[in-house]
Amino acid sequence: MKEKKLVKLKKGPIDLTFLILVLILVIFGLIMLFSASYAYAYYHDGDSFFYIKKQLMWAALGILAMIFFCNFDYHFFHRLAFPIYAVAILLLVVVLFMEPLNGARRWINFGIGTFQPSEIAKFAIIVTFAQLIAINGNKMSTFKYGTLPFVLLLCAIAGLMVLEPHLSGTILILSIGCIMMIAGGTNLKWFAIAGGVLLAIVLVAIFVPGVVDYAMSRIHHWLDPFSDPQGKGFQTIQSLLAIGSGGLMGLGLGNSRQKYLYIPEPQNDFVFAIVCEELGFIGATIIVILFALLVWRGYVIAMRSPDKFGSMIALGCTTQVGIQAILNIAVVTNTIPNTGISLPFFSYGGTALCMLLAEMGIILSVSRYSALEKT
Amino acid sequence: MRKRMMVILCGLAIVGFATLIVRLCIIQLVESDIYQSKAEKQQMRVTTISPKRGTIYDRNMNVLAQSATVWTVFISPVDIKDAAQKELIATGLSELLEVDKEKILEKCEKKNYYEVIKKRIEKPLADKVTQFATDNKISAINIEEDNKRYYPYGNFAANILGFVGEDNQGLNGIESYYDEELSGTPGRVVSAKNAWGSDMPYKYDQMIDPKDGNSVVLTIDETIQHYLEKALETAVVENNVKNRAAGVVMNVKTGEILAMANKTDFDPNDPFTVTDTYALERLKAVEGDEEAYKKQLQIEQTAQWKNKSITEPYEPGSVFKILTASSALDLGTSKLTDSFTCTGHYQIGGRTIGCWKLAGHGTQDFAGIVKHSCNPGFIMVGTRMGGENFYKYFEAWGLTEKTGIDLPGEEGGSSSLYHSEATLVKSPHTLAVSAFGQTFKVTPIQLITAVSAAINGGNLMSPYVVKNIVDADGNIVKSTEPTVKRQVISSEVSSTISSILERVVSDPDGSGKSAYIAGYHVGGKTGTSEKIDKKDENGNEPHIASFLGFAPANDPQIAVLVMLDEPFMQNVYGSVIAAPVVKEVLEEALPYLGVEPQYTAEELANMDISVPSVLKMEVEKAKAAITEKSLKVEVVGSGATVIKQVPLAGQPIPRDGKVILYTEEGNVSNQVKMPNVKGMTALQVNQTLTNLGLNVKLSGIDLNGSTTISSKQSIPEGTMVEVGTVVEVSFVNNDPVE
Repeated sequence: MKEKKLVKLKKGPIDLTFLILVLILVIFGLIMLFSASYAYAYYHDGDSFFYIKKQLMWAALGILAMIFFCNFDYHFFHRLAFPIYAVAILLLVVVLFMEPLNGARRWINFGIGTFQPSEIAKFAIIVTFAQLIAINGNKMSTFKYGTLPFVLLLCAIAGLMVLEPHLSGTILILSIGCIMMIAGGTNLKWFAIAGGVLLAIVLVAIFVPGVVDYAMSRIHHWLDPFSDPQGKGFQTIQSLLAIGSGGLMGLGLGNSRQKYLYIPEPQNDFVFAIVCEELGFIGATIIVILFALLVWRGYVIAMRSPDKFGSMIALGCTTQVGIQAILNIAVVTNTIPNTGISLPFFSYGGTALCMLLAEMGIILSVSRYSALEKT
Repeated sequence: MRKRMMVILCGLAIVGFATLIVRLCIIQLVESDIYQSKAEKQQMRVTTISPKRGTIYDRNMNVLAQSATVWTVFISPVDIKDAAQKELIATGLSELLEVDKEKILEKCEKKNYYEVIKKRIEKPLADKVTQFATDNKISAINIEEDNKRYYPYGNFAANILGFVGEDNQGLNGIESYYDEELSGTPGRVVSAKNAWGSDMPYKYDQMIDPKDGNSVVLTIDETIQHYLEKALETAVVENNVKNRAAGVVMNVKTGEILAMANKTDFDPNDPFTVTDTYALERLKAVEGDEEAYKKQLQIEQTAQWKNKSITEPYEPGSVFKILTASSALDLGTSKLTDSFTCTGHYQIGGRTIGCWKLAGHGTQDFAGIVKHSCNPGFIMVGTRMGGENFYKYFEAWGLTEKTGIDLPGEEGGSSSLYHSEATLVKSPHTLAVSAFGQTFKVTPIQLITAVSAAINGGNLMSPYVVKNIVDADGNIVKSTEPTVKRQVISSEVSSTISSILERVVSDPDGSGKSAYIAGYHVGGKTGTSEKIDKKDENGNEPHIASFLGFAPANDPQIAVLVMLDEPFMQNVYGSVIAAPVVKEVLEEALPYLGVEPQYTAEELANMDISVPSVLKMEVEKAKAAITEKSLKVEVVGSGATVIKQVPLAGQPIPRDGKVILYTEEGNVSNQVKMPNVKGMTALQVNQTLTNLGLNVKLSGIDLNGSTTISSKQSIPEGTMVEVGTVVEVSFVNNDPVE
């Protein structure tokens, strides 16, 4: 088969640009996490190093995972794709039996830390979609091969995540899935139909009592957070105050004032607000550009991959990082309504960071083969 | 992957990231200021530190008003742990501080860090609150330092001092006029706080020290102020003064106010409480009607806070004749040798004006019309001056302007209060009545300032009550120097006027005899005016009785003006009821100020003699010692030596007084019952008391006048007294002079 021929290709060097970008972001992320978290950690946990210690440990583990996966032949995932998907489904079912935290069951506690099955689910979608696209070849434009299996795989996972509930994660997975399908060659008319169905659902929803009011109030709080400064607008306002206080140059590393209990949990989704406050417009822009470069480089690796499978895995992982970064910063700057998406490399969350670095390792692994093809 | 797909995806990513950069640009560069100031507002805690309010001293650095440290109790509701603690706080504080429990509970519900429970508590109570908080481990209860104003002498000088409000802001008197100097500048501590309200471990703490207020040194002399207040207080009670009495003591050479008082007044420690008898009666009348009571209470409070001397223009009446006389002499339209004939009335401008003495004063010289306060005489003086000149002097005396005294709320000098030059020129009648002080109004401070100019050599001074302003370290920051506004009359005319005014008091036919003090050359002028714009319940116009006295006439130092507003008794003339008040003040103030008495030969002859000590002496020797002092002696019993003498050694008794010597054990007392001697002439008093064997000391006014009658006796009627005891009897001249 065509696939087997490529497997025989020899490994070349990894894509150094991508590696450097990843390492810069990891180190930058750790520094900012420490700065953002220490006041919160001091007041809530009595230990300023509470979060950074754990994150450092997981980052070390993640680096090891990255090293492992960049030396690991990614073709092996041909065989692992569906088992991974099965594990993801299993964990998504298991998580529904966990103790709810803040009204949602998203975490599985496994002793040394907590773990979100949705992180596995994202990768499961990427790897199964890559597998399907690779074996479908020219049949991608058909409904039977190019659309239906994808929709089924997505719906199973999205359905389970809605049950947690974990809406932001669901949206993220749906976005990754859709982009991979389009890039893989699914006929766009199916998207048009899906879009039509979605619109119909929205139109029907308008007549369900309460839906419009709920939507309007969400939009109202988004457009004018200051209308409810102590309630729904609180987090957004505190974030804006932090970003605005930064100005051009920022207050200096470590000098954020908003992290002193004003921004709720500054180490999580809103870590970027503290970055803006301390490093100013210049620092914030540099980070946005770093993410943009990472995405560009990821897509370059995907494009240069000698096989469809590698290309799709690299594309999926890159897209995941890109969408997460854009949505997170958009929320923090109140560009879109508030949803709970964390910032890759920066937000606190050990297992997520570990998974992310492992994925970066896989992209690097792909890059070794694309580099060869070029020569 | 096809290159086209890669371009599309990269394009989408670039659009996404570019949007974010634009958004960051807007928030961080364009709208940065808005967010920054909002952030600072929530992050900064500004604590003000109140400065200490300056002290008010009298001219000899006696403290009249002072601020002391007190404590304010406040709670920080967000620091309350649970409902149980809330209950504990409310119960504990309401018991300790006597504050309504419900109100405390209400404040506990607030979401902030500062809710005042009680202001200005004293140290012992503050300690109890702190103890309560520590005992129960409540961090939400806090106390902070504050200042409280104390007026150690209660209602002393109340209308000058004024009082302060809830936030130590000056609301009246010196406290208000010099509020800026006294209050100082509050200090500030700016610190960073986290969202829980505790301090951030952050370096932008900033401290600005408070600057304590400056202190004010008054021209007021505590002692003279006391004399004035004591005299006014008695006068108000004795004469049923319905609309309060006012008095001013001024240094005629500098314009310094040595004393200024109103009776009744108020206690600046508790300025809202009404004390005046008539005010309380009026309040009682509307009791029950809450609305009306509230309104009346406000009227009475405002009234007692008014400093009549500067805020209430009145018709000066005959006291003004001093100024008419001075102007006319200075202008030269009248001479001392002019002769004036009073027939009891005077025709002018088609109207008849009566003299207060219906029978008329006959023919008098210039000093005569002043002494007699003769209205027709002054009509002639005024008419000869002419309206134009009269107005020119009226203006020169400062009666068309405020004096500019450094106290709030000064009135007077507005054009509705006096006649314009045109009116005075056009209407001879207006000029005529103006000449003896009717139909226009001036404030007491305007009047005493003008009269001071008339007797001090002619210089109109700026009156003032603050001598120095002193900073917290005692350095003089500002000091007021005497300011001459202008010379109104020549110094020759001034000294002439002084000597004429002395004769008003010292001459047997003077109208101010009640103010006579031996040795002190008192000058003065009486005044009685009707309040033409007011009627009492009987339809009569209420009166204002006033007297302006000064001493010594040969070198005037202090002037005293007393006005009794609406006295309610048979005799409401200034000569009768106001002159003795001025005399009382001068009698005590002059020796205090170190003015040496200069007795005339006649006064020396009338002086009292100090009883010599003859105790344990042989009877004959004792008798000789007493008669040597030209006193009479009476021996009781047949012993050889004196075992008791009445009056005691050293006591002054009048010439020809009698000393009783007791010589036998068991016979050392001879008592008589004190009779009533009020309302008698000097002769009658003398006869009655000497017949009983008592010594009589008559207070020194002209005792030979037919209208002089006794008004007070030092020993009340009915008391048993030893024969020989000295009884002091005071006399007033009951001659009703306007």
